[in-house]
Amino acid sequence: MAEVIIRQLTKSFGDNTVVKSVSLKAEDGEFLVLLGPSGCGKSTILRLIAGLEDATSGEILIDGKIVNFVSPVNRNAAFVFQNYALYPHMTVFKNIAFPLATAGMPRPEIDAAVQEAARILELSHLLERLPSQLSGGQRQRVALARAIVRKPAVFLMDEPLSNLDAQLRQQTRLELMDLHQRLGITTIYVTHDQVEAMTMGQRIAILKDGDLQQVAPPLEAYDQPANTFVARFMGAPPMNLIPVTVSGSGSGWTASGQGGSVELDLKAMGVTQAAIGAHASEQLQFGVRPEHLSLAASGTGLSGKVRFVEPTGSDTFVTVQIGEENVVVRCAAHETAKVGASVGLAVDAAKAHLFGTDGWNLRTK
Amino acid sequence: MTVLSDGDGQDLLALERRSSSLRSVKSAASYAVLVLFTIISVGPALYIISPAFRDSKSLFSYPPQWLPNEFYLGNFQFLLTETSYVRWAINTLIFATGVTLIALVIDTLAGYAFARMQFPLKKTLFGLILATLMVPTAAVLAPTYLMVRFLDDVTFGLVGIDTYPGLILPMTVSPLGVFMMRQFIETLPPGLYEAARIDGASEWRIFTKIVLPLMKPAIVVLGIFVFMLQWANLLWPLVATTKDETRVLTVGISTLQGQFVTNWGVIAAATLMTLLPITIVFLFFQKWFVQASVAGALKQ
Repeated sequence: MAEVIIRQLTKSFGDNTVVKSVSLKAEDGEFLVLLGPSGCGKSTILRLIAGLEDATSGEILIDGKIVNFVSPVNRNAAFVFQNYALYPHMTVFKNIAFPLATAGMPRPEIDAAVQEAARILELSHLLERLPSQLSGGQRQRVALARAIVRKPAVFLMDEPLSNLDAQLRQQTRLELMDLHQRLGITTIYVTHDQVEAMTMGQRIAILKDGDLQQVAPPLEAYDQPANTFVARFMGAPPMNLIPVTVSGSGSGWTASGQGGSVELDLKAMGVTQAAIGAHASEQLQFGVRPEHLSLAASGTGLSGKVRFVEPTGSDTFVTVQIGEENVVVRCAAHETAKVGASVGLAVDAAKAHLFGTDGWNLRTK
Repeated sequence: MTVLSDGDGQDLLALERRSSSLRSVKSAASYAVLVLFTIISVGPALYIISPAFRDSKSLFSYPPQWLPNEFYLGNFQFLLTETSYVRWAINTLIFATGVTLIALVIDTLAGYAFARMQFPLKKTLFGLILATLMVPTAAVLAPTYLMVRFLDDVTFGLVGIDTYPGLILPMTVSPLGVFMMRQFIETLPPGLYEAARIDGASEWRIFTKIVLPLMKPAIVVLGIFVFMLQWANLLWPLVATTKDETRVLTVGISTLQGQFVTNWGVIAAATLMTLLPITIVFLFFQKWFVQASVAGALKQ
């Protein structure tokens, strides 16, 4: 086990800088998720840590040692690839045994280590099969077995569940979490799926265009997004953002937009009077999650018209048009709102956010 | 919605009939072209079967006799007892096998280096290798001969004219083989190399344990391709050999042609015996050829 630290890590391919001075630390035994849309640089960071790419600048430390110029195998990090990267001509046994055989381990020890890894991942009955004779989930487990058989200090996983169907993905997700709990190996996990990130990660590092946006435990990132990107990326449906201007003085401030105005609870929002005062004349974004809005009688809170009603079984999502903005409200399963009806929206102001013109949460200012 | 009348139905039927007969004509034309090309390509090979089983007198009988009255095996007997055919066949086997084995080693290694490794002037070197594809063999015949003559002197006859190394080595370098191997290796998923690197494998171990086993189909196809090409190679062996001890079949058969009298039955028998093994090899492996020729055409 080991901690992984990256300091001002930058990676450029020609003129294209895909990782921009990212600094990050995965604690010993932590499950850290790198989350972001395609092309945000998350996989590149993982490949840089693994040694599959050379950093343009910055440092990578594993277990306190700078490993920038250490070969991949000597970094003591195992990598699980998105497409599993199993050797197609080798049996499951030989796939798992390959790193040990390469290291020159004696045959009896290899046998014991492979059997142990196969037992942990419930592959003992599949050892003589070829990868082509396995299901997607089994292949994924073989890839994991090949990773754990080396007893690495760090697990690096690059979207390992993205090739599985929804049901298998959920099952394998639980297996991965169980594996992490049992082995306690520091794991850095890359995904673009925020549900995966929320459910698996002890902390989530959210990236956009090679820049780190926020590093926080899942619920903190959800409840207190650092900026509008994180606010929109975390959560489905995403956070509603309504353009507003603020006015007031002391602790009494109001956000006013096209649908009406909302009394702000600065203390609960974590925004200082100085921070809001500095943005008094600007157009800000008022952010509120769908579950912190509720339908009310017309004339209450914000006013708008119902545009869509989408029942999903457990909830019903009602889209309300406020001025030119569409706002989604999470309602009870059997909500009976009518399309075209005028409604009011009650806002849980304590759970709302204000984002500045630069997109960053005023809480962080 | 459009409603069809009876008249419309008849029109449709007539249209259907017309397009059906057009399809038949097109199909017949395609078959005619295919038959023509089959005759052109297979005809000469079939043509030698009959003379191989006839004596020299019946070959020139009038009216021409297409099929032998009896199976005359004298041509084969003559070939095996009165000429060095067996020696030529052994030489051909050594020549074609030697070239194939060495070419496979060179081509797979070079293909791997060009596909996977980074080194200065990689693109330029690969371009140069490809450029040599445009140089006809005949154009480099004289320089190659001079080079082997030079090697004869410096290696004290180990590599020279009328030696197996002198015959084999100049034919082992095949730009087409390097190109084929490189293309095949590039179709292998990069994740395999990366996984092997993380598993601690050296470049040599990646090549021998991961890449080579996966290249088996390409290696078999290239091997057969090179073997067949060298089995029928005439130009270089004609220059590089002057004695029966090192002559190969193609050169040996050409010596059967006399200045004034030629026994065409014997030549036909020799040609038939030479073609037969290579044809069997090709028929046996033709499925691999088709697979290899479409490899990479579809996304894996």
